[in-house]
Amino acid sequence: MTTVLPQQKEQHGGGTYTFSSRPRAVQQRKKYRDAGQGQDSTALYGNIMYDRRIVRGNTYAQHTLPASAQPDPIEIQRQQEARRRAIARKRAKEQLRPRSPEAVEGRKHIDVQTELYLEELTDRVEEADVETQTDTFLDRPPSPLFIPAKTGKDVATQIYEGDLFDFDIEVKPILEVLVGKTIEQALLEVMEEEELANLRAQQREFEELRNAELVETQRLEEQERRHREEKERRMKQQREVLRKEKETAEKIAARAFAQSYLADLIPSVFGTLADNGYFYDPVERDVESGFLPWLMETVEKAIDKSVLGRTMVDVLIREVVAQRMESFEALQRSIQEMSGGAAPSVSVSQTVVEAPAFTEEPKPEEAPAEAPPAEETPPTEGEGEGEQAEEPEGGEDEGEQVEEGGDDAGGEA
Amino acid sequence: MAKTVISQKLPPDIDPTKAPLAYGDRALPRLNRELNDKELITRQRALMTLCDYLHDPEHIAEALRVGVAESLKKLLSDKDPTVRHKTTEVLYVIATHNKGRDAFLDYGIIVPLSKLFDDSVDLARKNAHMAMEMMSEIPYGAAGVVEAQLVPKLVGKLRDELNEIKELILDTLHFCLRVETMHALVAGAMEVFTELLGHNQAMIRAKAARDIMDLSVPLDGKNKACEVKALPPLVGLLKDGDTYVRSMAAGAIATITITTQGKYLALEAGAIPHLVELVEDKNSEVRLNSLKALTTLSEAPEGRKELLNHVDLIRKRMEDESEAVVKAATIAVRVITWKP
Repeated sequence: MTTVLPQQKEQHGGGTYTFSSRPRAVQQRKKYRDAGQGQDSTALYGNIMYDRRIVRGNTYAQHTLPASAQPDPIEIQRQQEARRRAIARKRAKEQLRPRSPEAVEGRKHIDVQTELYLEELTDRVEEADVETQTDTFLDRPPSPLFIPAKTGKDVATQIYEGDLFDFDIEVKPILEVLVGKTIEQALLEVMEEEELANLRAQQREFEELRNAELVETQRLEEQERRHREEKERRMKQQREVLRKEKETAEKIAARAFAQSYLADLIPSVFGTLADNGYFYDPVERDVESGFLPWLMETVEKAIDKSVLGRTMVDVLIREVVAQRMESFEALQRSIQEMSGGAAPSVSVSQTVVEAPAFTEEPKPEEAPAEAPPAEETPPTEGEGEGEQAEEPEGGEDEGEQVEEGGDDAGGEA
Repeated sequence: MAKTVISQKLPPDIDPTKAPLAYGDRALPRLNRELNDKELITRQRALMTLCDYLHDPEHIAEALRVGVAESLKKLLSDKDPTVRHKTTEVLYVIATHNKGRDAFLDYGIIVPLSKLFDDSVDLARKNAHMAMEMMSEIPYGAAGVVEAQLVPKLVGKLRDELNEIKELILDTLHFCLRVETMHALVAGAMEVFTELLGHNQAMIRAKAARDIMDLSVPLDGKNKACEVKALPPLVGLLKDGDTYVRSMAAGAIATITITTQGKYLALEAGAIPHLVELVEDKNSEVRLNSLKALTTLSEAPEGRKELLNHVDLIRKRMEDESEAVVKAATIAVRVITWKP
């Protein structure tokens, strides 16, 4: 900008520095320059460090203007040379600079703002007009403006393009960034969730198989366990059966042995018992125990009666004999008195007759003495029969027991 | 006219809640410095920015290197609710990456983070659970959670949390149960899961069923499941409108019916007709799980007798487009038609 100064008057010439420039319109400065644009714009600018119009150093000490304002042609040429070289160098440098690779098909490179703070991307330089207008002091409040009823045409105001704040345009970039950032964040989160969901799905798929296999394994394990238990139970059962079989065989053997042993026993037992009189005829026994005692008693009574009769007869005979003896003696004495000793032979015969009468007397006394022994015998027989009657019962019991034992053995077999 | 005096006057702060980012490499160190600032608003603004900034995976490693994790650990116990909420959110973002999860273990963030499970701010709790869920996604992360004895606490939280947090807890437990089930069983997780089977949200029902499946992998879990009568509600879920619920319920039934007791309980609950219907489901996971459940059920003589009527249907599945289903169907047919 510094070089673009209004044209100085050339005619001053002489000692003072002059500068001329073709008048040209003030170019709107662009914020962003294209690559090609930069070259011609550089011509407009100069380094003020070398600008002749700028006075350097202390101005008080400087009395004189430069001796020759006329530029040295050699100097100019050198400067131009240097400038050309600089341009050439710059161009070469630009060509050598590595560029980003060409965009793939269907895409293109786009300039993106990468600054921390957003700047609107416009070519216009913002300008601001500021003005102030002080109000005149007023003593009284202004009377309200009279506004007549609207008649006629409306007044329009011309607004040039760019005069107004265009919301759509101004907001667009910042909105783009905001939306872009939000979408980026959202995308990240969505991708994260999607990844998680995918992982979950895969996990479920795996678990499906895993569970199935787990169940299968456990099932087989359980089956194996049951089979093993079943096998053990079977073996146990089989052992039990074998044991029982053995036991039964032993029992049968014992039974056979017992049977063969008992077969001889029963007849011998019966023989012994019969020999000992445990078996008897009931009629015979009844006769022995009931009839015979009665018979003996009756017989005894009859004998007693006859003995009594004989005793009575003996007494009668004795009395009679005694009386006859007395009468005889009386007779004899009477005869002796009459005849005195003529009849001794007769007395001797009388004594012979008397003797048997005396011998007969002790007989009835002996008879009762003989009777008791006859009576005593039956009771002894009765006692013996009683014993006999009891013992056979015992013998029968034994016989039954033996038989029962035989039945038991049969049942157990 | 628009004016461009930006060099002297900074442009209006578009989002006053966010701290401005420093350029390039300087962004994260500066944010980290601001995180430790005494001024509350500075910390908050730094956190807000960090939340957005870390969504880019490229920045995670740099952030961890600068020491953001340690600063965040400190901020977890901050008094300001917004700070806690934002801190947990940042931690969640970090935890989505492997490197971040490593940092969680290195700096021992799990325990301070678990303190926030009792936070009064819903968002902070939710983010904490989200971070914890992310943490437990990988096996050693889940092991870390188990080691911190968090399983009983999580099970306890399951009873009275918000629904969306319940979902997260169920996810976390799902991964933890892979590592260890004993703690959860002792804490009564099976009862809680069974209760949640009747929840009105399909996702929670499904996740509860899935956790029952995880929990009943060991024998104790299966017995516990039979004990708390988890099977009838699971059988009910086979008719659910949601695919995921159906598949998980079928899977859980398949796991529980491994034991003989489970088989008979499932048969009593009438599982077979529903499972047979599911064999022709559109979703391959549902088909697979129901086939597996049928296979285990057919090992019981009663189940086999009933399933012999449906062999043709299952045989059709042997031409399925999913390889796993084909395999499962083959096994199922073999087991059903097995004769001693």
